[in-house]
Amino acid sequence: MPMTPTSSPTRDRQTPSDRRTEPAARKIAARRVITNAATYAVLLAGALVTLGPYLLSFLTSFKSSRQFARDGALSVPSPPTFDNYAALFGGRYDFIPPIAITVQVVVVVLAGQLVFSVLAAYAFARVRFPGREALFWLYLATLMVPQIVTLIPLYTMLSTVGLRDTFWGIVLPFVFGSPYAIFLLREYFRGIPEDLINAAKLDGAGTLRIIWHVIVPMSKPILATLTIITIVSHWNNFLWPLIITSSEKWRVLTVATASLQSQHTGNWTLVMAATTVAMAPLLVVFLVFQRHVVRSISLTGLK
Amino acid sequence: MSRLARREARTGYLLLAPSLLGVGLFLILPVFVVLSLSLQQWNLISPARWVGLDNFRSILSDPDVRNSVLVTSLFVLIVIPVQTVLGLAAALLLNRRLPGSNLFRVVYVIPWICAPLTLGVVWRWIFDPSDGALNALLGQRIEWLSSTTLALPAVAAVAVWSQVGYVTLFFLAGLNAIPAELYEAARMDGADGRRVFWHLTLPLLRPTTFFVLVTGVISSFQVFDTVYAMTRGGPAGRTDVIAARIYHEAFEAFRLGRAAALAVLLFVLLVVVTLAQQLYFRRRITYDLS
Repeated sequence: MPMTPTSSPTRDRQTPSDRRTEPAARKIAARRVITNAATYAVLLAGALVTLGPYLLSFLTSFKSSRQFARDGALSVPSPPTFDNYAALFGGRYDFIPPIAITVQVVVVVLAGQLVFSVLAAYAFARVRFPGREALFWLYLATLMVPQIVTLIPLYTMLSTVGLRDTFWGIVLPFVFGSPYAIFLLREYFRGIPEDLINAAKLDGAGTLRIIWHVIVPMSKPILATLTIITIVSHWNNFLWPLIITSSEKWRVLTVATASLQSQHTGNWTLVMAATTVAMAPLLVVFLVFQRHVVRSISLTGLK
Repeated sequence: MSRLARREARTGYLLLAPSLLGVGLFLILPVFVVLSLSLQQWNLISPARWVGLDNFRSILSDPDVRNSVLVTSLFVLIVIPVQTVLGLAAALLLNRRLPGSNLFRVVYVIPWICAPLTLGVVWRWIFDPSDGALNALLGQRIEWLSSTTLALPAVAAVAVWSQVGYVTLFFLAGLNAIPAELYEAARMDGADGRRVFWHLTLPLLRPTTFFVLVTGVISSFQVFDTVYAMTRGGPAGRTDVIAARIYHEAFEAFRLGRAAALAVLLFVLLVVVTLAQQLYFRRRITYDLS
């Protein structure tokens, strides 16, 4: 019994004068059991509401249309069928290209963001040049521009140079690094002792070698954080790919899911298979790296 | 400038060059382009024409635009208080650190990492009047998303559902930063739980609350994916948020100038709301715990 009065942590701090009698202590312990139970009840209800939609859509994706019509939305598929997934992959629909495009977009954006953000952040943190502070403030100022404001001009600009409905149209606005990543990295790099950099310089290392052999190995946690932020936000990106692409060839997963849903309203078993496919990879990444993801969010406000 | 300093400066500019290109072309230039577009009439095909402030005049008197400003404001007014209160409540419960709290914390964050568009599609099914899970659960037939009164609260509920875990994380971090001695001191002085919450916890959480409110308001004013997936702005424009209106003007009606003017309007609106929040919080004392 963890709730015995003697194991109560507040007990030790009580002065002899207000030490409570045994029945009073028991009453406090009983109250604690009740509050704990109530806490768990509320937390559990929250978890149920959070996970319910995932579970229900997952179950639905394993039903045939007939089972779904007969047994309703809350039933367990019996027997489970893979027909919806078969239809998504190689059957009537082809969900493989959207996955491939999405993966390519994420990989290219991730590579660009990491490399160019690290270079810029190192310049801001450790290289002296005229205009450094002013440029850094300029970068910070761009953080205040909401994405929706730049959408239309980006569309007209990229259309003018012929990048509408191309792969590069999807990724180009994001590959050169983001001010936010640069800001986070700069803060981190400034915490790396300058002596280490000077020692490397004395050994004749150039800037790129210092970055690669000194800075990067020491910055793994923040780089992991940025990797997660970038993967999540570009896997989930919808509005920009929706606008800049028009042909089926360049559909990313979110756009493909939306168009499947609007073409097959009512065919919910198929649509739920599509949403499961669209969410599963990120959910796996999340469950594997959950500790790190949770820390990344509270550190950076991942968006 | 010495030769060494000149060389260092050159290195700095070289390192910065790619990101400067990106920031200049894709973040700064678009702000000027959107301002210039907002003063033109253009349908993407025939040549653009300068029209001065006509676009602003026409959008400000457009009932659809007024409706979208109202709808978006209502959406923000529902989402922000609800998610903030729920997030704080969840954080307080998790902060009791009962065994298993970490698991709940992870579970609550799951919707935050999924695409709002995809979740919107899932919820569209859940709210479906005849085949959806919610009506099956309630044993009723409620037209959630085609009802002019229920559609906006339903969309707002989904937004809260997907964001509350994220808000919780911030409040948890904020609660962690409050030194335990302060609580002990308050208890020694005989303060009960309620007084500790209102006079100690809440004031000390003010920076966190400010952050959560400001970022929440900014992102809620731009909501698009959830609405697009669940209602496409319907029924009868009751969920037609500003971002959906901008999308419609630009890419369905091909009135780029009006869409740009609307984007500028949203930008101004966001700046005003953010400044107002900042003023409100500045008037109150904040406590530095570092």
